[in-house]
Amino acid sequence: MKAPQRRRWFWSLVLLLLAAGARADEYSFDVSKYEKKPFELNGYVELKAEDFALNRDGAFYKLNYFGEPQRDSLVRGTETLELAGKLRQGISTFDFRVHADASQDQLADDRNSRIYEAALSLRPKPGLTLEAGKRALSWGKGYAFNAIGFVQRPKDPNDPQLAREGYVMADGDFIWNPGGALKTVAFTPLLLPVSGDVNNDFGSNGHLNPAFKLYALYRDTDLDFAWQAKGSRPARFGFDFARNLKTNLEIHGEWARILEFTKRVTDASGRLTTEMGSATSYLLGLRYLTQGNTTYIAEYYHNGMGYSEAEADSFYELVDAAFAQPQPNPLLQKALALGQGSYARPFNGENYLYVRAQHPDAFGIVYFQPAVFAMVNLDDRSVQVTPELQYTGFNNLELRLRLYLLHGGSSTDFGEKANSRKVELYARYYF
Amino acid sequence: MRAVLLLLSLLVVAFPAFALDGQQILQKVDRNLEPESYESYRKLIDIQPDGSRKEYVLWTAKKGRDKVLALFLSPPADKGRVTLRLGENMWLYMPAVGKPIRITSLQSVTGSVFNNADILRIDYAAEYDVKKAEEENDQYILELKAKTDEVAYDRLKMWVDKRHLLPVKIECYAASGLLLKTLHFSDIKDFGGGIKRPAQLETDSPLYKGYKSVMLWSGLKKATFGDEIFTLNYLPRVEELRK
Repeated sequence: MKAPQRRRWFWSLVLLLLAAGARADEYSFDVSKYEKKPFELNGYVELKAEDFALNRDGAFYKLNYFGEPQRDSLVRGTETLELAGKLRQGISTFDFRVHADASQDQLADDRNSRIYEAALSLRPKPGLTLEAGKRALSWGKGYAFNAIGFVQRPKDPNDPQLAREGYVMADGDFIWNPGGALKTVAFTPLLLPVSGDVNNDFGSNGHLNPAFKLYALYRDTDLDFAWQAKGSRPARFGFDFARNLKTNLEIHGEWARILEFTKRVTDASGRLTTEMGSATSYLLGLRYLTQGNTTYIAEYYHNGMGYSEAEADSFYELVDAAFAQPQPNPLLQKALALGQGSYARPFNGENYLYVRAQHPDAFGIVYFQPAVFAMVNLDDRSVQVTPELQYTGFNNLELRLRLYLLHGGSSTDFGEKANSRKVELYARYYF
Repeated sequence: MRAVLLLLSLLVVAFPAFALDGQQILQKVDRNLEPESYESYRKLIDIQPDGSRKEYVLWTAKKGRDKVLALFLSPPADKGRVTLRLGENMWLYMPAVGKPIRITSLQSVTGSVFNNADILRIDYAAEYDVKKAEEENDQYILELKAKTDEVAYDRLKMWVDKRHLLPVKIECYAASGLLLKTLHFSDIKDFGGGIKRPAQLETDSPLYKGYKSVMLWSGLKKATFGDEIFTLNYLPRVEELRK
């Protein structure tokens, strides 16, 4: 080989090796980085800004801002830290999820910290798990609502995918695979004690509150039967189902019966009565993926424990009357007390429709997802419409912008809320 | 007589090629790609038009023809997510939500060019019939049609390397005839245990111009799992299965 040829060959080889090196680096995959570790910790930090346009005619504005300087808007900043971890030893795992947030607005500074979950699990064999500790269960197939969520805190339909605080309990999980059309059976019994400070917001003290869920995958349909004994809360039972009717169309539903349920109802003069009876809640939902990759989710929810339009009207009349009189007055005290109780629960009407449309990778931008969802109180026709933009294209960073628009006249669910509009922007960094 | 002998000799030589029909080729491709029951690690890399990347790492377990699950190990935002497929049923479990929701094969849990059917792929022969098989130089070309309309891609056109009986390229079409994406297999690697297959898959799609997705395999090996693993109740604990 002559010298110029040798040089060409040498440089060709160098270039080839560089190219190969670049390529190997380009697509390298070192599995050892992902080995299971005895201890793991991850979570997220979030910065959120909210701008509220306050609804000064709304009953809940009057109640929530009573005694405060009157204002038309409020700007709030919230910092959140959520940590989740696992500690493993043999067949046992201890896992936890803790949540802390601090918020500031023109009226107050607020700080909260909560243990969402902290439980020890034992897995003597794949089909058997025993757990004790604080656990956030999630029963039911509904996306925005749940009728059979007997042993969990209610989800926020505005953010149904957020982690929630659990309850202290002891539970088991038994899984069988009988085969044939009955592909899977799973039984989840639990005890949820209410005593002293333990689970004191679940219901009355001094009960063990046994409950269970029985799951089956029969042919291609998910089925659950759920039951909770009478104890801190009235007894209740129900079922749910979910299946794909087509590859792009899913249907789900829930039905629950609550026995001897009591409801405190006020009239316009503030006279309280306690009604007792059984209540039925149910929901029916669809999830549909179009050929154009837009997902629609629709859910109709009947809340058997909710307030009828007439009952809600009486409460709004009470608030109006309380604020029409010179203050303080006895009606105002009653209205303020009710405004902190069951009348203040979100989505406490009887019939709701939830509709959501989301389109991932919109405008050819991967990880960019515009969406819009609406919640309609079908009884008084008031509505909340929420367009949102979400981008997850930056590594470990999620950005979301939302505009909440509430519409409804006086004496309606969304028309009497404390705010008529809200802009919300958050940046969430996962680690 | 000599002509007859010559003809017979040619037939004997040519016989193996004819004996291996399209369905058999497809079944061999399936087994050469993966054992029927296995575990493996995969990395998914999404490359955007500006060159920026997003990477996902998954641990996958498969049992039999139609049970497969994938656990997300990275990035942190997705860690602990599990997707489960039983035949045509698919679910996604997110730790923060605490319950599995049904998903469809055409959606993408990663939001990338790879959809759920790509991530939770079961045997090609379980989902497709071979409608046409041809030979071209050192490759077989198989035209596949989905057995049901539940399958993510209505038709596939698969180029198979004759020597290794492994796919080289697959074009994925919608029922309308629209080309949805093209898969390019490369980097044949010996994973041990008699498994020798491409360790890299690149995907491009006319629907995502300028974007590219890559899937890398590592630690692919035969494994046995109980049926209980492939159930909704087990999804929160899948991570404990890994050694």
